[in-house]
Amino acid sequence: MKLRLFLFLAAISLVLAGAAPLRPARRPRYGGTLRVEIGAIVKSLDPSVAAANPEEADAKDELDELLYDRRSEDGTFAGAAGSGAFRLSAWEAGKSAVFAANEDYRAGRPFVDSIEVQMGRSTHERLLDLELNKADFAQIPAELARQATDRGVRVSASQPNELLALVFLKGRTATENARAREAIARCIDRAAIVNFILQKEGEPAGGLLPQWSSGTAFLFPTETDARGAKEIWSQISPSPKLVLGYDSADTLEQSVAERIVVNAKEAGISLVSRAMPNAGPPSAHAGSEAVRGDTIHVDARLIRLRMPSPMPRVALAAFIDVLRPLGGIEASPLPENASSEDIYNDERSIVSGGRVVPLVWMPQVYGLSARVRDWKQPAAGESWPLADVWLDSMTETH
Amino acid sequence: MRRLPRLFFLLATIVLTLLALTGGPSRAQSALQIPPDWNKALDSLADKIAAAAKPAKTFSLNVKNISSLSGTDVAGLREELVADLAARKFRITEKAPSDAQLQLTLSESADDYVWVAEIRRGDTREAVMVSAARDMVKNSTSAGPSITLQRKAIWEQAGKILDFGLVSEAATDRGSILVILEPDKLSFYEYRSGEWQLTRAVAIGRARPVERDVSGRINLPAGKAELPDVECSGNFQHPETVTCAGAAATQDAAFITNPIVMQERTVDSYAALAPVCGIGPLTLVSGPGDWTQPDEIQVYELKGHEAVVSGPPLKFPGPILALWASEDGKSARVVSRNLQMGAYEASIVSVSCGD
Repeated sequence: MKLRLFLFLAAISLVLAGAAPLRPARRPRYGGTLRVEIGAIVKSLDPSVAAANPEEADAKDELDELLYDRRSEDGTFAGAAGSGAFRLSAWEAGKSAVFAANEDYRAGRPFVDSIEVQMGRSTHERLLDLELNKADFAQIPAELARQATDRGVRVSASQPNELLALVFLKGRTATENARAREAIARCIDRAAIVNFILQKEGEPAGGLLPQWSSGTAFLFPTETDARGAKEIWSQISPSPKLVLGYDSADTLEQSVAERIVVNAKEAGISLVSRAMPNAGPPSAHAGSEAVRGDTIHVDARLIRLRMPSPMPRVALAAFIDVLRPLGGIEASPLPENASSEDIYNDERSIVSGGRVVPLVWMPQVYGLSARVRDWKQPAAGESWPLADVWLDSMTETH
Repeated sequence: MRRLPRLFFLLATIVLTLLALTGGPSRAQSALQIPPDWNKALDSLADKIAAAAKPAKTFSLNVKNISSLSGTDVAGLREELVADLAARKFRITEKAPSDAQLQLTLSESADDYVWVAEIRRGDTREAVMVSAARDMVKNSTSAGPSITLQRKAIWEQAGKILDFGLVSEAATDRGSILVILEPDKLSFYEYRSGEWQLTRAVAIGRARPVERDVSGRINLPAGKAELPDVECSGNFQHPETVTCAGAAATQDAAFITNPIVMQERTVDSYAALAPVCGIGPLTLVSGPGDWTQPDEIQVYELKGHEAVVSGPPLKFPGPILALWASEDGKSARVVSRNLQMGAYEASIVSVSCGD
């Protein structure tokens, strides 16, 4: 029987071997250097040294993930640097780093021999280097994904896991009026933000969790109601003048804030946007950070909330931790066995309170060179799985 | 001659009984197609609808599927819900007027199916919902009378699985045994009180860290589990006898398959199976993607000098990492990774004929 099967396999191998070029086998190969470019400037890889800004904190977290094998219960890196999949072999603070494969890593040596990281590369430089095949891996803003694809860059986008939301700050007289908050929430054209600003790389958000995670996002409406907004606003007397803040370093937030101002104007609402220096995104992913940007007066602000886990209960809890100090949102933590209905009810209760207005869901987008194989989009809360990628020797580099 | 009328009467009785059993209300059939957990969930949903819909007694029902459920599942669920509501004295009507509109949306979250019923009456809308576990046994459907692949999920875990084996109850003096080979241990589970319980884990020690793309294979009849540098041996029906020790690495180890070429691509995951219902021999071949993509298993039948696709592919939500033919050649062990959940899954894929 075995002999017959062997002969059969041998036969089909011979029969089907054609003249056309073969697709490469998918068994990984070892070797090569992965060239990574990041926008952040990382001054130190020491986990005990605080990052200067959220961008550096996120990048440092990714790089430390290469060096450390485990984290403590509080999420900080534990053990010795070099216990992870890679060891640091060269370091120029704020400029570059080289990580060498750890031959003794308990989960197996990484496929690549080393990773070269260039820091402080602008979005434009990262895109250009991906296009010219001078970089193998770089994160690119979601709103530029389409442009990158058009330029021939291989793009990998995650499920939408980062929420851009508008939060009415607590303690502001102008936003204590629930009708004023409702009018602004109704006038926002989310579809336009997705189509024109995000270049369709995202989806309108009505709830605090994406459809793929909660399964109930479709129950939250996302349509614009300019007429309703106008009517509500006309009933408010005296009508307040509101200021919408955004992170001055975030061009996407700026574009979205300006778009919301246009929507508000169309509904007769008095709203202006204002840049908040060093506002920084209060990232759910990086943990609950101090709310900054309070030095100038704003009544509401835009924030980015990245899901720390695909699990809806965990993500919602993290978001509430960030939103509580900002918008004064009250919600009790859900038990571990919370049902979909419990989570939905909590989410609905927060959204209907009107202090937070979900706007759009965005994916994490990465540019990859053609030779990068087995890149798997990290799930929400996961780090870049660079130890698992390998480089295809059949693809040329420059 | 006198016996003929009695024989005819007996035959007629048997035929009528069979017809009554097989030709009864279709609910019995669909209920069979729905896993028991789903029935419970629908029952609970019907209770919630009944509570939320009072005093409505007549519904118009619209069903929308935005999940990965198949059309067959959706039809079965709809039918079951209608029956559950009927049992609560509610009536579904196709024609207006109805007391309320019932919109059933079959959705799914990161870990469960979520079935949402929205009850709309005038301007009011109320939503109730239930969660239901994803079905562990997925069947592919075949359009023709040829080959059907069936997948039965056996085990899933967060850690990497290299191979697995099932020792049937008949072969042991206790319950069935599930053997899971991982890079750093060989685990034995026994089926007790309706679930697999860990009874023994044999650590696999090695001088060097394991390779990242390590593979391994369990050979139950030979009482062996092999990795590139380790061999575990013993009587797998008696886990306490199994030990693992270092072994010299070999190039022709049993767990390394030699790539073959199928339809202009190199295939390194395949399993040769015996003919089924006169069709075959057969080869199961995994898809062309890499380890970041959903995968599939396609059956090929050797006809003359040609390998011909037979039946529809069986889809997997992630890459197939290992594919081994069983000892009897009638099924294959498959280790795959569920990209959505990140879990490694062990399942048995078998081939049957007919539709």
